Amino acid sequence: MSRLWRFPVPKLPSSAVLRTAGVYTSGALFSLGFFLLLDASVYSKHANGGDVHITIVDWIPLICSILGMLVINSIERSRLVADSYSYSGNGVAWKAKLVLFMGFALMAGGLAGAATVLIMKYVVPAYPWPTLGFGVAGVVGSACVMLSSVVLWVSQNIEEDYTYNLSL
Amino acid sequence: MAGLKTIIALSFVLAIGFLLVILSSALYANYYPLLVVATYILAPLPNAVCARCSSPDDFIDGSGNGVLDFGRFLTGFFVVMGIALPALLAHSGIIVVPAMVMSIIGGLLIYGTIISFTMFFQEESDF
Repeated sequence: MSRLWRFPVPKLPSSAVLRTAGVYTSGALFSLGFFLLLDASVYSKHANGGDVHITIVDWIPLICSILGMLVINSIERSRLVADSYSYSGNGVAWKAKLVLFMGFALMAGGLAGAATVLIMKYVVPAYPWPTLGFGVAGVVGSACVMLSSVVLWVSQNIEEDYTYNLSL
Repeated sequence: MAGLKTIIALSFVLAIGFLLVILSSALYANYYPLLVVATYILAPLPNAVCARCSSPDDFIDGSGNGVLDFGRFLTGFFVVMGIALPALLAHSGIIVVPAMVMSIIGGLLIYGTIISFTMFFQEESDF
């Protein structure tokens, strides 16, 4: 593939162990993000005596983030650079990039939406901490899902040798 | 390396893990911590299923790797869920903190037993 940037991208270490650990870490981060918001939701139902509770509005940003993560990581990586090969069909790379853009937009929209909910629902009415924590949990949860997606993406792009597949 | 002593030690650890989880439920007459056992028994399943579903001999394209990675992702999800679920219940005041501690330790012991059992006895059973 012809180089586009003047600075070369640093080569990631090619290790099957590192790749596997990255995928596990990604799942752990996703779980952390999901359970942060679930914890806030259960807490607001069971322990919090205030009049502000977690509703579907707080869940929508996280759902957007999860959908974006699903879209991003469903794309076949090799199709993104498929234009340089002759056997790829009509604009497969273009379609892949469009879908990828929609995935990133969903994910960033999720994070921005969580920040919006935090500000509009909790910060502007100036609620004290345990209630304010619901909004913070939403933001941190979306950020965790985003981080999980980044880790999954990077660890799947780690170049691996064929020995990995053969040793299975 | 994997002899009779390993089996005995692993079964002891498994029994201690179950003891802790059941104690954390029964002491406080609140059976939510038993969910941890279900989580940790579920945790090794995605790897086992996805290892069968993937095609390891197709090493040209590496198309089986997506399924494998999905299994690992789910495993990581379940392992953190086993820790996060008691913490969530304790934070919300549904279970008390000692029950949380006991169920987390017991769950980790159970999961460690399952993992080390498959690690010790994989070669004999597979080939």
